[in-house]
Amino acid sequence: MNPGEVTVTAHTLHVPDPIGGSVATAARDLFSSVAPEPACGPDQAHTVLGRKGLLFKEDATRLALCAVHRAFGLPPGKLTEPLPGAEHTAVVVSSNVGNARTVRDIVAGMRAGSAHDVSPLNGPNASSNVIASTLAIRYGFTGPNLMVCSGATSGLDAVRLGALLLRGERARRVVVVGVEPDDEVARGLAALRPAVPGTTVPVPLRAAAACVVLEPGGAGPRLGTVRRHTRPDDIAGDLAPPAALRLTAPGAPGAGGGIDLTPHLGEVYGALGVVQLAVAAAWLDSGQASGPGGALITCGDGEDGYASVRLDPADVPALAGGG
Amino acid sequence: MHVAITGADLLTCHGGTDATFAALAKGVDGSQDLRFYDTDRINVTRGYHVDDTADDEEELPLRAGRWLARCVLGAVRQAGVDPAAERVSVIVGTGLRELRAMERWAVDGVPVRRRDLHFTTAVREVLPEVTEVITVSNACSASGHALALAQDLLAAGEADAVVAAGCDAMSESMLTMIGRVADAPTPALRPFQEGRAGVLLGEGAVAVVLRRAADAGPGALATVLATGLSCDAHHETAPDVGGIVEAMRDAHRRAEVTPHDIGLVLAHGTGTALNDPTEAAALDTVFAGAAPGPLVTGIKGAIGHTSGSAALMSLLVAAWAMRSGSVPATAGLAEPIEAAAGLRLVIGEPAPCDARVAQVNAFGFGGVNAVSVIGVDR
Repeated sequence: MNPGEVTVTAHTLHVPDPIGGSVATAARDLFSSVAPEPACGPDQAHTVLGRKGLLFKEDATRLALCAVHRAFGLPPGKLTEPLPGAEHTAVVVSSNVGNARTVRDIVAGMRAGSAHDVSPLNGPNASSNVIASTLAIRYGFTGPNLMVCSGATSGLDAVRLGALLLRGERARRVVVVGVEPDDEVARGLAALRPAVPGTTVPVPLRAAAACVVLEPGGAGPRLGTVRRHTRPDDIAGDLAPPAALRLTAPGAPGAGGGIDLTPHLGEVYGALGVVQLAVAAAWLDSGQASGPGGALITCGDGEDGYASVRLDPADVPALAGGG
Repeated sequence: MHVAITGADLLTCHGGTDATFAALAKGVDGSQDLRFYDTDRINVTRGYHVDDTADDEEELPLRAGRWLARCVLGAVRQAGVDPAAERVSVIVGTGLRELRAMERWAVDGVPVRRRDLHFTTAVREVLPEVTEVITVSNACSASGHALALAQDLLAAGEADAVVAAGCDAMSESMLTMIGRVADAPTPALRPFQEGRAGVLLGEGAVAVVLRRAADAGPGALATVLATGLSCDAHHETAPDVGGIVEAMRDAHRRAEVTPHDIGLVLAHGTGTALNDPTEAAALDTVFAGAAPGPLVTGIKGAIGHTSGSAALMSLLVAAWAMRSGSVPATAGLAEPIEAAAGLRLVIGEPAPCDARVAQVNAFGFGGVNAVSVIGVDR
């Protein structure tokens, strides 16, 4: 193990309601092989988290809490003291529309009466970093705390900044979460985007959360350097070695094929890069991989550009740039 | 690894960089009656608008992104950076993104595109060849976080130059939550003032271009030694002395300075009941034993709480104050609170200053703290 390497030491997928149903596709087969059990929705978050502390928590915050709670294998209920190592743990969350509905509701409530008709308990949700700070408060994570709202590349931007916090010795562990809700405001915003080229009907939005835990020199798969690029298959040299698993950006299969998860999951927007990384990590851990080569994943879209990263098995010499 | 600021630009209620510094030197309170909102319902009447709209004009769309684009372009031109020739990353720190556009779409039916909520499009319209644009939404310390990440990207060799930026326009939802917790509308923002009434929002944008100090050549505006980051993990909206102290000590450790080295502090100083005594207590703790301690000033009484921009705006003021040898007084401050008795606050008139190292504080909702240490050659 190289302490300079960033490794994925835990991962969870928390996707309550994929659109794919029972239709057999490569995306469905892959996803159900690594996440066979359905995840609870935000209104059932208490079954994972216990009942306390969920009042006025938005759907995205609840799903993010579920993903982190499960990543650390915790029983339901609030912790009585911070998690071991929490003081050196950073949090990086990717979400673009997590608090959109609350922001709409605050304005609509005020316009219908006055500011005094709005609950002060909704105040924290007016600030877009509420998901990241809620995770810190619940688990005692006092390391750097970042909220990334970067559009379609946001998930892998969050992964990249998480790795950067480790390389900069700002944390010994980073909890990276990607999450989006699918409430009516989030759906309304999603309906404004152009359809993916070659399709006429946009893939419906679905709520999703995923968590990956990054640590230097751990026993898990090794994370390469996240690269940004302008075309979906314009992969830089250090990403190029053949990958046994190729996860592509929505609607943009690479020249060598690959799996687009969104026909099964739905559009998960700012959650996607983290969801893909958690799928790749689970796939590598499951022993389904045969032969050399890890996973190469790409998220993004034609408007925001694309981001890609490799995830390689723990026991193979590094092919990707370690940064 | 130190990084140099080779270009900078900002925009506030007073105008551009020169106009803003001139207003700060005179202690001008730039607040005005709020435009665009039903102030009776919202229970907030004053604020520090960027003046981009004629009296008979409607609110322009996507104001934060316009100001951001102007400042990023200005800073890049001043630095002489060519995004077509080298790897240039842009990290935008913002509290409220373009949530104002989302509000107007959801409640008033004003058209918006989903991608306009973040700032990739706004930056690429003026600088299409930048390697990437990353929007970090870290409340009122967002541009301090952007600065920390920019320095880390340069240290890791993942970029040749990085633009760290901040921008925010007011949002109706945030104004509503400020009005919700106020008994009566706040008449003025008065940092560390006895009997202060609370915060008022400011608007604007700011951008700095950073390079590895070894690559920068002469003429840098300032050197960024380090930024310390911490999260209180304590309360969703209330600050915590322990978390703020940790961010300050992290900054000093990374910058390899001691409290004795720091001659000037740009305080977060929001004029709220909670921030000011908490910040004063943290400064007392960290600078205990470093008597007489640094000069302390704050700029929010003059330009408002500019949210995501606040950290980098304070940083540019700190650099300007050290270069000019004169620290602007804290606009709005006449009689400090008892909790700030241990601070050398600059009150009334500008103070002469021979500091070469300054500390810049920024704290945000959710307990997200960013404290930067910068230096200038004189």
